Amino acid sequence: MSRRLLIFLLALGCAAQTLSPDQRKLNLDSFEKVWQTVRDKHWDPKINGVDWPAVHAELLPKMEAAKTNAEARQILSDMLDRLHQTHFGIIPSDIYTDLETSGGPEGPGIDVRVLDGHAIVTTVEAGSSAEKRGVKPGWEIVKVEGKEIAPVIKKIQDQFAKSTLLDLRLSRSVLGRLQGAAGTSAHVDFVDGSDHTVALDLERGAPRGKLVSFGNLPAQHVWTESRKPRPDVGYVAFNMFMDPELISKTMQDAVEGCRDCKGFIIDLRGNPGGIGGLAMGVAGWFVEEKGLKLGTMYLRGSNLNFALNPRATPFRGALAVLVDGCSASTSEILAGGLKDLHRARIFGTRSAGAALPSVVERLPNGDGFQYAIANYISSGGQPLEGIGAIPDEEVRLTRRGLLEGHDAPIEASIAWIAKQK
Amino acid sequence: MKRRNAILGILLSAAALYAADDLPKGETLVDKYVEVTGGKAAYEKVKSEIDTGTMTLGAMGLKGAMTVYSQAPDKRLVEVNIDGVGKILDGVNGDMAWSMNAMQGPRIKEGEEKAEALRQNRHNGDLHWRDMYKSAETKGVEAVDGADCYKVEMTSKDGKVSTRWYDKKTGLLTKMSSTTKSPMGEMQAEVFASDYRKEGDVLMPHKMLTKVAGQELAMTIDKVEQNVEIPKDKLEPPAEVKALIKK
Repeated sequence: MSRRLLIFLLALGCAAQTLSPDQRKLNLDSFEKVWQTVRDKHWDPKINGVDWPAVHAELLPKMEAAKTNAEARQILSDMLDRLHQTHFGIIPSDIYTDLETSGGPEGPGIDVRVLDGHAIVTTVEAGSSAEKRGVKPGWEIVKVEGKEIAPVIKKIQDQFAKSTLLDLRLSRSVLGRLQGAAGTSAHVDFVDGSDHTVALDLERGAPRGKLVSFGNLPAQHVWTESRKPRPDVGYVAFNMFMDPELISKTMQDAVEGCRDCKGFIIDLRGNPGGIGGLAMGVAGWFVEEKGLKLGTMYLRGSNLNFALNPRATPFRGALAVLVDGCSASTSEILAGGLKDLHRARIFGTRSAGAALPSVVERLPNGDGFQYAIANYISSGGQPLEGIGAIPDEEVRLTRRGLLEGHDAPIEASIAWIAKQK
Repeated sequence: MKRRNAILGILLSAAALYAADDLPKGETLVDKYVEVTGGKAAYEKVKSEIDTGTMTLGAMGLKGAMTVYSQAPDKRLVEVNIDGVGKILDGVNGDMAWSMNAMQGPRIKEGEEKAEALRQNRHNGDLHWRDMYKSAETKGVEAVDGADCYKVEMTSKDGKVSTRWYDKKTGLLTKMSSTTKSPMGEMQAEVFASDYRKEGDVLMPHKMLTKVAGQELAMTIDKVEQNVEIPKDKLEPPAEVKALIKK
């Protein structure tokens, strides 16, 4: 949610601006670019049933009358919202500038999920201010900067009650409130494991991992992790499908270091996706048969298979994939495809159902414009958009379990691997 | 009404016949391309070549350095390093075609995809087109970027049809269209060649714009070195690809 928070702050900051004739023209050019791109490149020539010329006719006068960049940006977002599909959005130009100069918003080094209506710390990064101040998984966040979190959660739950995106929006909403500029602190009120209130000022630091750029996407911090939770079980996690060479090397080292393992776990919880093609590369480490595919993307006028290239010596043991409501896009393509191919058993909770292949272009006014270029159908014949990857075994994190040091989905997958022949 | 249609039909047939008679033969156009770009002797002098330049996927903001190594008679390697993506390798070596990148891993091309790769990557392929194609047939005249071009349909020895457009005035190849079949599916690609400049005794395009799957890929050649020694192992498939052969 950091990006959304930033958009909001920028919108406030820009509220008093007025547009020069040049800026106005750039915004109008951007309006036409966005409208025409959707008209020409949306995979559905009927534009998902939306009367696209009518949208143009309705919004153009508003764009012409826009008095600030924030207003203009909101009109572009309104246009894309009419599609009711994920992976269409506007990225404010300031985000690029911010990332180039400061590396982006920073946080106190914790991850959060909303469990049973409560914002619960699920992980604490080693070396972060949160770890140094003693924050533990399972602690509840009740206030940030003196503001109650519960009403925020309630509002989002009401608004997105029926959406597969609910968990993602809840988590990002809380995380966004924790993030801020480098060198600042977040004042957070927790409830600890003994149900005592603990108020801490947590210094914000750079996110874990290295800053990675990919074309017009804003740069992102990317990390990978591999370990053996048991001597006969391999485990890999990465926060995004970015930096193909890093992820490829991580997978290679993990698989080759686990040749005799009984099972392997790919943890995609919290992974929002990234480069779609990387799903094929990761899956190639776990299949032997040629001619398999994770699914197919349907562009306007052509189809592309997410075909798998089996490695020379793939991992042949049991494979578990972990997902949750914050696993999106490429994560869902990988998890859903491996499940459909009966190659992996999925543990956790339903993923975000946001799985449309997309690209990001820069608009004449400097903003980024993300748009989906294809529909995606998993190899089982079902779309993932709006449905998500559904676990074979639903396993939820609980506050109590986290406080006791348990990670239920990992433990369930290890137990399943142990039962495999 | 029937009579009018019949007359119209005859007129159209006559026009088509006239047009067909007026068109140069496809093979003449392909041979002419070799001549206008330097001639057989000039091509044959080039035994190896290293081209360096850039590749950009403009809409996505991706850009990288590109090097193409080519060695007579049948070895070629295209190496691209794209920021944020890493190294992408695509090569042919004798009767083998392969690719490797960090996103999808190593792969040996097979079937139609392999045949197409071997045709497209043959060293001095334009000079030896008769080894690979059974016919070149002129289909008409079409404008490419405002210039009239002869449209030539090329049929490979295994029956695969691709199309080329040769500029009427200059004889230069300005556009190619083909459909490539791979495990990812069938992809129709159009390649526009421009910025012809002489390198040694051969005139060659320095800009190639490929349109595929709604995206545009631009390649620009900045430097060409001919008859330079290419380390033998550079053109060999990497160990990861060789491991797939042994499988």
